[in-house]
Amino acid sequence: MTTTQDQSSTNSGAASSEAAEKRTVRFRIQRCLGPNKPAHWEAFDVPILAGEGANVISCLQYIARRPITADGKETDPVVWDSGCLEEVCGACTMIVNGQVRQSCSCLIDNEAPNDGDVISLQPMSKFPVVRDLWVDRQRMFHNLKRAHAWTPIDGLHDRGAGPQETAKNQETRYIFSTCMTCGCCLEACPQFLLVDEPAKWDESFVGANTIGQVRLFNLHPTAKEEAGERLEVLMGPGGVSDCGNAQNCVKVCPKEIPLTEGIAAMGRATTVKAVKQFFTGE
Amino acid sequence: MTEHQTPLSKHHFLLRRLHSLSGIVPIGAFLITHLITNSSIVWGKLGGAQHGGDGGMATFQHEVNFIHSMPFLLLIEVFGLWLPIAFHSVLGVYYATTGRGNVGSYRFQANWRYSLQRLTGYFGLIFIFYHVATLRWGWDFLPFTNVFIAEEAASTTALALRGGLEGGLIGGVVVGGVYLIGITALVYHFANGLWTAAITWGLTTSAAAQKRWGYVCAGLGAALMLAGWSAYVGFVTLDIDEARAVEAALHGPAEGARSANSDLSADAGRLERE
Repeated sequence: MTTTQDQSSTNSGAASSEAAEKRTVRFRIQRCLGPNKPAHWEAFDVPILAGEGANVISCLQYIARRPITADGKETDPVVWDSGCLEEVCGACTMIVNGQVRQSCSCLIDNEAPNDGDVISLQPMSKFPVVRDLWVDRQRMFHNLKRAHAWTPIDGLHDRGAGPQETAKNQETRYIFSTCMTCGCCLEACPQFLLVDEPAKWDESFVGANTIGQVRLFNLHPTAKEEAGERLEVLMGPGGVSDCGNAQNCVKVCPKEIPLTEGIAAMGRATTVKAVKQFFTGE
Repeated sequence: MTEHQTPLSKHHFLLRRLHSLSGIVPIGAFLITHLITNSSIVWGKLGGAQHGGDGGMATFQHEVNFIHSMPFLLLIEVFGLWLPIAFHSVLGVYYATTGRGNVGSYRFQANWRYSLQRLTGYFGLIFIFYHVATLRWGWDFLPFTNVFIAEEAASTTALALRGGLEGGLIGGVVVGGVYLIGITALVYHFANGLWTAAITWGLTTSAAAQKRWGYVCAGLGAALMLAGWSAYVGFVTLDIDEARAVEAALHGPAEGARSANSDLSADAGRLERE
């Protein structure tokens, strides 16, 4: 073939021939009709135009408009959770082709560049399923409360201006402040498991994101007043010592937060606290 | 926080840290000395003249004699080794059951090491029990065993690693396989445990430091692997008759007659001790 290539600039990457411009991608979706209901799989074919920037969410929207499975059966629209659609809210986190990530930033042209490619979608396995791809991430917020991941500024009187933040501190803290509580680190963690009963959450592993937030707030000039309370939580059951150092958290974190460095820093802080406690009783 | 506190949850942090510590001291420290002592069957050839000129066998006998000359040896063993190993094992197995490996989905190197750490822990525990039961407690009812006699250290160890007097090829392969896998598993478990302990205790708080310390642990692990494997090869290739002659010479002529009667020497030695 010696035809001249006169493709327009809308073509990019793998899609450089006429045939690849329009293709069909099959979505295999793990479905579940409600909490504690059995899961089953359904397949949907979605037409994709190369270079149009389709992502998993836009494909789910297509399926919602036309809930017909690949073998022609009408079914309920697939339910999912999403918010910002620019990878900063964490709501659309799910398992795409076996890997946990935000579905909004998962571009079809990268994930399924060829006609007939398959993309599998599953809900995160470490949180209870509400329906289909939508999970209840309540436990993450419970754990943030459990670890006092906030700055105590409320009071009846004016406490004046807070202490100055140093540039060095700011540099260490900034990246931890970008955590969006999406749950990727927990989904990939072999030590963080699904716990159905909220009563048991306080004894179960807090996970990398919460440990990272303790790191963030214990470095904050005002919030460090409560550093001891936070470390106390990390020294209890389900605290930092339940980490098994598989270090998947840092590999899957979409914000590239140095979670393992946060864990090690909290390991050091709890060591120091324990030694101090032993010798001074404080 | 919780109203019903068990001793396990009340002392959660302390127990976790003691679990980490016990793996390094005394267990890890003992592993290092143990493998170095055993490999003296090989490196002893270099400086053998010091202990009678008979290479590894005499050096190894000298090392074993030193251990058995220690006062309160049984107390040291019970409180310095067996109880710490039991503590580390029981808690380790319990902790391992609180996680669920996922290398199938997340094939990262550290994640493989996480799963291997637990696997080598399980196998290492079984191996240590088998090893101590047969070579220290004298459990000779298991197949392919040979009782270890401290006065005839090299020859009885060599026989044990070959599956006993009547083990034959099968016994040698079975016991050899168990030992090689056991040594490899435990050295890995120690080296990787040393790497994770530095994070647990907060020594390596940056990714770069963790990488550097990883090289140190890998280097130590490689050296210990070499010591362990070379000891195995040293004992398996040992000339048992020569070893008996060296041991007899070290213990004077009176005992030389006993070890000449090779088939009975094991039983005789055991009876003498009792």
